[in-house]
Amino acid sequence: MAGIEIPHFCWHPDLPVDGNCRMCLVEIEKMPKLQIACNTVVSDGMVVRTTSEKAVQAHRTTLEFLLVNHPIDCPVCDQAGECYLQDQYMEHGLHDSKIQPEEKVRKRKVVDLGPIMLDAERCVLCSRCLRFEANVTGTNSFEFVNRGDHMQISTFENRPITHNYAGNLADVCPVGALLSHDFRFKMRVWFLEATDSVCPGCSTGCNIFIDHRDGEAQRLRPRRNVEVNKSWMCDIGRKEYKEIALDARVTAARVRGTSGWEGASVPTALDTLADRLREAGTASAFLATPQATNEDLFAFRTLAEKVGGMLDFRVGDPQDKVRVLEDSVLLRADRNPNTQGCLDQGLGRTGVKEILAACAAGKVGALVLQGPELLRSAEALDALGRVPFVAVMATREEPLLDRAHLVLPAAMWAEVDGTFTNYQRRVQRIRRAFAAPGSATPRWQMAAGVSTRLGTPLPAATARDVFALLARAVPDYAGLDFKTVGAGGRGLPAGPEQIATQEARA
Amino acid sequence: MAAKVVTVNRDTKPGIYPVLIGMAITFKNMLQTMFGHGAATIQFPEEKRKTSGRYRGIHILTQRLDGTPKCVACYMCATACPAECIYIEAGERPEATIEKYPTRFEIDLLRCVYCGFCVDACPEEAIFMSRENDLVGTSRAEMIIDRDRLMERAKLVEYGPGYRPTDHDVRRPVRIAALERLKHEHGIVPGPPSR
Repeated sequence: MAGIEIPHFCWHPDLPVDGNCRMCLVEIEKMPKLQIACNTVVSDGMVVRTTSEKAVQAHRTTLEFLLVNHPIDCPVCDQAGECYLQDQYMEHGLHDSKIQPEEKVRKRKVVDLGPIMLDAERCVLCSRCLRFEANVTGTNSFEFVNRGDHMQISTFENRPITHNYAGNLADVCPVGALLSHDFRFKMRVWFLEATDSVCPGCSTGCNIFIDHRDGEAQRLRPRRNVEVNKSWMCDIGRKEYKEIALDARVTAARVRGTSGWEGASVPTALDTLADRLREAGTASAFLATPQATNEDLFAFRTLAEKVGGMLDFRVGDPQDKVRVLEDSVLLRADRNPNTQGCLDQGLGRTGVKEILAACAAGKVGALVLQGPELLRSAEALDALGRVPFVAVMATREEPLLDRAHLVLPAAMWAEVDGTFTNYQRRVQRIRRAFAAPGSATPRWQMAAGVSTRLGTPLPAATARDVFALLARAVPDYAGLDFKTVGAGGRGLPAGPEQIATQEARA
Repeated sequence: MAAKVVTVNRDTKPGIYPVLIGMAITFKNMLQTMFGHGAATIQFPEEKRKTSGRYRGIHILTQRLDGTPKCVACYMCATACPAECIYIEAGERPEATIEKYPTRFEIDLLRCVYCGFCVDACPEEAIFMSRENDLVGTSRAEMIIDRDRLMERAKLVEYGPGYRPTDHDVRRPVRIAALERLKHEHGIVPGPPSR
């Protein structure tokens, strides 16, 4: 915490201390022997030397022992570049091995454990994976087998890892013994650029890094946030990056003409949308999506209020599931990142059923969907058929988009700046990692574009400006801006529901 | 240090003797290029210009005994490459002892600056340079050569090997720099290499 780097393998901030790797030895005055830093309690007047000759020599000796049976695998090992062993060899070791490669103990390599590949030779027996399995998931899949030089980690009968947090095993492993099957051989890590973001997979809002190269996301990695996800994220969340690079992204706007779909530029499509909304006036309906950022929602809400139409977001009742845990660790039943943001901004107004009823009664002249959720719902089919004009902001091509009359290409979460509010009412920042494909545009920009065409432009040029407007309009968000939200997010004062649950718990 | 003053007498007239020496050198070179070994013109392509054993021409990928590439797709060459002309895709080999190999290995010879850093970076001695230097093509796409072309032995036999890791220091530059840092910061000098 004081910015002093102490070499270590087995210590992990979110796992119990084990003290088995002996790498963090430090010299403490008045103690006869070197002590492990991870399991020594600090006391008043203690004098600790981390870089004294004795301590550095101890690091070097420990490292040499750890490397006795380590294979010379770095060229083919995916961990290379983010490997503790490599870093510390370059920092403290640089010795020539006294062991010939042929003398090393051979262990099992390339063992497929489902989402994880095990290479027992590379293991330094730090037991981080054992402690993760015991303390976080409670599954206890791993155990040490054999003794001495031949000791290695193993699952029972090499059974695959079946829980939803296997990706974290590759993250906690300080070396290349446990590696992600999905990322295997895909990329050397030093080519990757990391952007701070938040996982859009559920309402937990785990803090993540988007690792990307040349505008393509390559993997998602948890970013430590003690208040939200500690150092973990689930495997379902890890797969979210695959959605971004899909071939079937909506990359251009299109309008339904007399003879089917006609391509259009985004500005012309927005012109059409503005004309239809002007015609429809209060006989219009707006459905926001909990997939959108707070900025998107605010611009959408402003537009809906300007036109004076009906407004809601609760397709499939995500508000009931926002705080419901699906397993015992992180995953929540509500698979939207920003349901809480919708609730905070008061987007649940008219009711989805009422909107559908109005549609079915032919009272809606124009329906604007911020996401394609309603098109996917079977009950809405009849009602949608009676609306003369349905506009939808979509990210992914699907046959259901044919139920709309105007399709606008929306940028995805990794391609926009903004904020999500998670189930705890914590506002967290997402950052633009790379450009959106084609003419895909952030949803707030499209909503603001329609507002401009209707004669009342939104005084904002960036997502930061929109958030500033939002902070002025929504009392709970008062005083917040992108800077105060910062890297770790900012908790809002507890809402009435949260206070109720806290009381119930007490 | 005090400057030393040298006086040069430029007011001299050359005699006939230096002129004759100069003419002799010129005449000798003329005869050599006309009849001797120093001819500047060669009958290309029948005749090829002589290049040194360290010539950096088109790359060669070396092979294992079974004809598969020795390369393990570690991307060291692509990392070291200043021209970013190397594109690699890695795949899985069935043998657990090797694991990884390049399913695609392409070099854009029009981007390549023939610096030889890829040869220096390779930990497996899987890439080195031949003395092949007469590259002809009709499109840019042709100049991106793939794994099979890079592994062609006939070309290597025809032109001979060029820059290759034979007499390198086994301690690579990065390691030497790190050793110096260790000595400077901690006063530690690891023992000499065991070999």
